[in-house]
Amino acid sequence: MRNRADLVIYWGGNPAECHPRHFTKYALMPKGKHLPRGRKDRTMVLVDIRETKSVKAADIFLQIRPGRDFEVLTILRAIVKGQYVNPAMVAETGLTIEQLRDLVDRMKRARFGVMFFGMGLSMTRGKHMNSSAILTLAAELNAYTKFVAMPMRGHGNVTGADVIMRWTTGYPFGISFDRGYPRFNPGEFSTVDLLVRGDTDAALILGADPGATMPQPAIDHLARIPTIVLDPKVTHTSRLARVHITTAVTGISAPGTGYRMDEVPLPLRPALKSPYPTDEEVVRRIHELVRVKPDWLVHQPRTTQQVF
Amino acid sequence: MLRITGGRVYDPANGVDGQIRDVCIADGRIAAAVGDGARTLDASGMVIFPGGVDVHTHVAGGAINFARAMTPEDHRRTVAFIRTQTQRSGLGGMAPTTFATGYLYAGMGWTTLNEAAVPILSAKHTHEELRDVPIVDKSCCVLMANNEIVLDLLENGELERAKQVVAWQIWASKAYGVKAVNPGGVAAWKWGKDAKQLSETVEGYRKLTPGTIITGLAQIIDELGLPHPLHLHCNNLGAPGNYTTTLESMKSLEGHRAHLAHLQYHAYGGDDWNTMRSETEAIADYFNAHSNLTADAGAVLFGNTVTITADGPWQHLLYKLTGRKWGNLDVENETGCGIVPYTYRPSNIVNAVQWASGLELLLMIKDPWRVSLSTDHPNGACFWRYPEILQLLMSADFRRDCMAKMSEEAKRRIRLPELDREYSLFEIAIITSAGPARALGLSNKGHLGIGADADIAVYNQDQDISRMFSHPRYVIKHGEIVIEEGEIRATPLGRSYVIKPQYESTIEEYLRPLFEDCYTMQFENYPVELERVEHAELRNCIPAE
Amino acid sequence: MLQLTLKQNPPVPLEAELISPDTLARMSLDEIRALPLQLGKHRRRLDEFFDISGAPGLELKLIGDLSRVKWLGRGMSQGRIEIVGNAGMHLGARMKGGEIEVHGNTGDWLGAEMSQGTIRVRGDAGGQVGAAYRGSVSGMKNGTIIIDGTAGLEIGMRMRRGLIVVGKRVKDFAGLQMKGGTILLRAGSEIRAGAWMVRGTIISLAPLPLLPTFATSCSHNPLFLRLLARQLADWDIALPALDDQGTYDCYSGDSSVPGKGELLIWRPRNGSTVQ
Repeated sequence: MRNRADLVIYWGGNPAECHPRHFTKYALMPKGKHLPRGRKDRTMVLVDIRETKSVKAADIFLQIRPGRDFEVLTILRAIVKGQYVNPAMVAETGLTIEQLRDLVDRMKRARFGVMFFGMGLSMTRGKHMNSSAILTLAAELNAYTKFVAMPMRGHGNVTGADVIMRWTTGYPFGISFDRGYPRFNPGEFSTVDLLVRGDTDAALILGADPGATMPQPAIDHLARIPTIVLDPKVTHTSRLARVHITTAVTGISAPGTGYRMDEVPLPLRPALKSPYPTDEEVVRRIHELVRVKPDWLVHQPRTTQQVF
Repeated sequence: MLRITGGRVYDPANGVDGQIRDVCIADGRIAAAVGDGARTLDASGMVIFPGGVDVHTHVAGGAINFARAMTPEDHRRTVAFIRTQTQRSGLGGMAPTTFATGYLYAGMGWTTLNEAAVPILSAKHTHEELRDVPIVDKSCCVLMANNEIVLDLLENGELERAKQVVAWQIWASKAYGVKAVNPGGVAAWKWGKDAKQLSETVEGYRKLTPGTIITGLAQIIDELGLPHPLHLHCNNLGAPGNYTTTLESMKSLEGHRAHLAHLQYHAYGGDDWNTMRSETEAIADYFNAHSNLTADAGAVLFGNTVTITADGPWQHLLYKLTGRKWGNLDVENETGCGIVPYTYRPSNIVNAVQWASGLELLLMIKDPWRVSLSTDHPNGACFWRYPEILQLLMSADFRRDCMAKMSEEAKRRIRLPELDREYSLFEIAIITSAGPARALGLSNKGHLGIGADADIAVYNQDQDISRMFSHPRYVIKHGEIVIEEGEIRATPLGRSYVIKPQYESTIEEYLRPLFEDCYTMQFENYPVELERVEHAELRNCIPAE
Repeated sequence: MLQLTLKQNPPVPLEAELISPDTLARMSLDEIRALPLQLGKHRRRLDEFFDISGAPGLELKLIGDLSRVKWLGRGMSQGRIEIVGNAGMHLGARMKGGEIEVHGNTGDWLGAEMSQGTIRVRGDAGGQVGAAYRGSVSGMKNGTIIIDGTAGLEIGMRMRRGLIVVGKRVKDFAGLQMKGGTILLRAGSEIRAGAWMVRGTIISLAPLPLLPTFATSCSHNPLFLRLLARQLADWDIALPALDDQGTYDCYSGDSSVPGKGELLIWRPRNGSTVQ
């Protein structure tokens, strides 16, 4: 990316404020082996619903109406293939057909194109289908040139959790172990849906503050059930929890591995000593105590056909 | 301490061919004798093999982990492993989860595996996954042939410095060997191009060709004295007519050792998909006459799988051919390259040629010591289907039954109908264990001589070969019974084999500025620390004089 | 007929894939009482949650608010389940035959990946009705799902054949990536109906927002609608199909795929309305 990407598109993200190093270290500013003039050799397109600070860094800014990302991406897929698009309805997206055709031209002409998409795309109406749309567009552009799409994740080591859940269970998130083996169904087993429906009778929260971000019914349920929070700080969630265990800050006083948004692993080396235990130590100790309890799965076979 | 009595022992490395004798185990190794207090396993009516060794598989790392995210529909239809006090939960299928991978390999008697493709940048990730693959011992090969720093040095003819860099990078990634994938081609693919001919200049370079990369790396690896030779995935994988490229690659390796990965995918004749045919005879003839080479089959079985490889150009072709999606778009993660779900069908002539070619190579290569069983898991088929291939190799009648379903046109494109060879159990023990262990340079594996690691598979002798190898009676890993009558008894952690080739420490000063120029990561964060490799065991290099 | 009445609302979801005519018809009452259900991570007996009366057979009546009970009638191939009350997720998922009637509402994934049979819901349904589970190539392969009330997101996702009828307005992405079959929206939908559809037909009796990747083709009353109207009459559902009542505006798409799906939107003649 650093060495090759000559067309960089940010969609529904504000890297200038949310991921400042993304521009300078990673995708935009660096001089690359095949892009000796760095920024000058790249074209940057920003797609968003409002003018953010990132606009200044963009060569082209496409401002679309809120909630029209899926439509724009679907139109782009049609234009890429030279298919019909209803011109009158294009206007409802806030862009003109000329702007979109120009964008497709640039995409096809690029030697190596990359699209980064942020929460402005993946967390708005349409959600996973919006992500699906941008990933499909990127896959289809590979019929013409080299193109990739990549999510820009939020805070913390979200990517790391996703990567490890995948190798241990086969699924990235939204996993249930009720039956003794992993099952996957976002919407059914994803945390926010479980809490909103009140489907759990206890909660262990690690590395997250759902009390600050989740809808009120989910927060109310967390307050209702025994909630245990592992966090270095006092958070919205720790305030409503039955138990708050203070832990060392991972990356500063606890070692580990962080996974960058592109899944490149980085070693986390503690710089300071902490009087508090690490998350890992706490979870291990809890696990040791749970282990001595009678095994509730003991009557089951070791392998099974699945229910799903 | 353990004594196994009454079984027929197949230990090709020590010339034992089905004789009934005792196998004694003490302290995790094969011993000459054990005291009377030792537990005795009665293996009457059973056969005893050294534990299987997989020289080429993809079970851990970024690519297979993408494949996992992309195939939830496959996870749902597989058998699930339920969590117990000794066993972690997991799922089998096309891209098994890490714990299930260990259980499934051990569950058919395999005790060592070589993860064949590790990008240096994410080697840490691969090692973290391998740590979660229980029971089996592991090694891995680091990807080198498209590494730009190495390619630039080869372009400029700086072989000595390139050797220093290669040595440093092997140690930085805590690898055991070096894998070259489509040399020059993957670098060219970053521009949407490929490198198909050995003498063509690689896109973006003045004079560097795939041929110079192959020869240069093979020479470097021989000079460093790595236990496993250059592990080569030849150019032009999967394309009709590619056997000429493969022959050229083999010629460019004269005077050097090399291991040719998944040779089946490189043995096709014809001009296009309509005329594609097997050219395994030409490949096998050359291979038979050149003892500097080893290979693994990369055999294909009909059915569902997911294809993953670092070979981007081939994957895009497959995507266009199948019209299937590049990844499961319901799941949020993907890089957009290198992973395509695929179904091999006997009715499809191309697939029929692929199926036959893998078996043909295994049957036409005369020296079983130089060809190992592999499916390039998960590309040709999943590793847990190896017993099906063993049945095909051991029974010409069974092969004929399978071919009966194929079209006459398909049969004209292959050589398999003419081949009557049937593998003996002795030869099976070579291609599944003794041979790959020797190719990997793991002297403690693949045999049952005194001092060898006590990794042993005990099978019930059975007419149904597939059933026999799918359900070992006992599997012993490092002297411990891990599988007994299909039940997992213990899940010890295996070892990871790592080598440290010699290099001058000054090479870091050369690499640092280049690295900081090209990479988005700090130089200090690049090497994998040895402490992060679970149960690492250092193996020696024997540098050339 | 066997009657199961819910005694207590389960505190966490209860998975009851074994409650289906195929399993219960062959069992004695004692066996049925001991049938394992999955309550969260624990296995429990059926009679902890249900009062049992009547005789085992292919007819099954379930009474109570079963909105936390999942997987009822999973994979059933025959017989009939009548539910007096609500039902939880995955009701009739992968069913191969038989009939389910619900006098209440249902959760998500109603009739997901079913291949035959009929489901009638008198109340509202959740999302992903007749849909493909995540990653699966196709959703329902045949059969009929009729919902009198509303339905949620992604109904008929990747369906291949069969019929889904929804009485009230459905949420986004109706007929997402559908490959065949028919969806009848008697009161229209919110946005993105027919997104990425390959083949199949979506009929709407109320105006709905179109994606820009659908093209107008014509305005008429296709013949097959009369056949469909006759079929629906059995369910007391009216489908206008005669020229004196109005016409259907036909659109084809989704051109981004590119697909050949059909979207038919009813335009009544002045004064004529749909019952």
